[in-house]
Amino acid sequence: MLTAGHLMVTVFPMPDRNTLIEMQQLMLRYPTGKVALSGVSLAIAKGSFIYLTGESGAGKSSLLRMFYGGLRPTSGQLSVQQWDMRGVSEGDVRELRQRTGIIFQDHKLLFSRTVFENVALPLRVQGWEKDRLVPRARKVLEFVGLDDRLWSYPEALSGGEQQRVAIARAMVTNPAVILADEPTGNLDEDTARRVLDLLMTLNSNGTTVIMATHDLHLLTSHPGRVIQLHQGSLVGGSHG
Amino acid sequence: MGKKVNEVPDQIDPRLPGGFQLPPFGIHQFLALIIVCVALWALGSVWLGLQGAQQWVGSWQESVQLHVYLPVEKGDDIKELNERLASLDGISSVRQISREEAAVWMKGWLGDTALNVSEFSRRLPESLELTLSDTEHEFLFSDIRDEAARFGAAVNEDEIQMANAHQLLHSIQNLAWFATLVIALAMAMIVSNTLRMILLARADEVHLMRLLGAKEWFVRMPFILEGALLGSGAAILAWVLLWPLVLGISGWTDGLSIDLHPFALLLPLLAGGAVVGCLGAVVATARLVSPDSVDK
Repeated sequence: MLTAGHLMVTVFPMPDRNTLIEMQQLMLRYPTGKVALSGVSLAIAKGSFIYLTGESGAGKSSLLRMFYGGLRPTSGQLSVQQWDMRGVSEGDVRELRQRTGIIFQDHKLLFSRTVFENVALPLRVQGWEKDRLVPRARKVLEFVGLDDRLWSYPEALSGGEQQRVAIARAMVTNPAVILADEPTGNLDEDTARRVLDLLMTLNSNGTTVIMATHDLHLLTSHPGRVIQLHQGSLVGGSHG
Repeated sequence: MGKKVNEVPDQIDPRLPGGFQLPPFGIHQFLALIIVCVALWALGSVWLGLQGAQQWVGSWQESVQLHVYLPVEKGDDIKELNERLASLDGISSVRQISREEAAVWMKGWLGDTALNVSEFSRRLPESLELTLSDTEHEFLFSDIRDEAARFGAAVNEDEIQMANAHQLLHSIQNLAWFATLVIALAMAMIVSNTLRMILLARADEVHLMRLLGAKEWFVRMPFILEGALLGSGAAILAWVLLWPLVLGISGWTDGLSIDLHPFALLLPLLAGGAVVGCLGAVVATARLVSPDSVDK
């Protein structure tokens, strides 16, 4: 903190080029007055695999939502993919979302649309033409092992298959980062490991993966950096 | 033989939402189409009726004209009567029609019969043609009648009836415009409510597209297009359904020398339907809020 006369200015360091997400003294307060995050400072490097852990209500999902512009910081600094999220414009948030793959806790699959249509949706949003879009969606569905279910509807799929569709949708545009909110939450252990294998493969190809989870036992087979939250704060203070 | 990897099977057409892709047509849209069509048909019928009535009273003419007839034996007073009538408010000009001109016109009106024009003209009264500038002027017709009576002249009462009918039609036309406005607003609300229901049914899709970074025009365009399509589809249907009406009353309209032109209503109905549909869609999508919206 610098003091110049009566003026007090908080100086935040500029984000490093290899840093994908950086936050300093981040605070989030909901309109109801509830403080979801408080004094969170950490940096996430490009290409890392991050586990966001903590009890229910610790602030994991809120933090993930801030990473794609679903929530704005109340105070502090948050930089995501070089965008300062405090004053980011609507257009920039759209661009950020196009560069981010999101796997939601409830999948958010469109049940009135086929597996292919669900996976191709991000490509359509980004204006891909049909001749490029179709092979790309097929290739990604092949990667997650669902190339034989292209024209099925999600309700005909098992929970694990639905989660794989969600992963395919998140990765189809080849984003810089994938945000996954409890992607293994409702899956049995074997299916959860397969889902995590897919995310690990994406990470080994250079995609940053940030995953909120309760399943700490997965860490033994799939190691990564753990960021633990407790009641909106980092456990153990700032993480570099 | 395996299919090419980028080949989409013929039997399954990927329907990707957003942009210029219309939402699937369902029962809500069908009902809205019928309701808007009935409303537009009613409007079309009103305007078609006005078209016929205007033809009947001759309101295609730029100005309303009356004729005053002065008996031959009082022909010396024609100049003075002309001046007195010309001085009345609401009359823009008075023209004396010679008896020869009147006889020629009448010969033509009778189908160029073997009428002796010079002989016939001697039997005709002196005629004055009054061009009215303001048919709504208070006491205009009474003043004309009074002036004519003072000179022993007669006014063509049928033409006064026509002028009154012209005035009445003018009022009816204003009412028709009012009804058009009210019905247009009602139609916009119907389209808006229909699209609102579709939007509610597709809220997840809209939300997801926004989470994927879709631009607002991309999210809203299908609904705007759907509104425009609903309105114009209903307009075409309403226009087609005007034809049985026109053909059904053709015997009666022919007897009145009325020639109805439904083609003149096609473009106004189509444009009106499309505009009303778009308006309804804009209203429906105006407050299209999703969680995690990018709005601050």
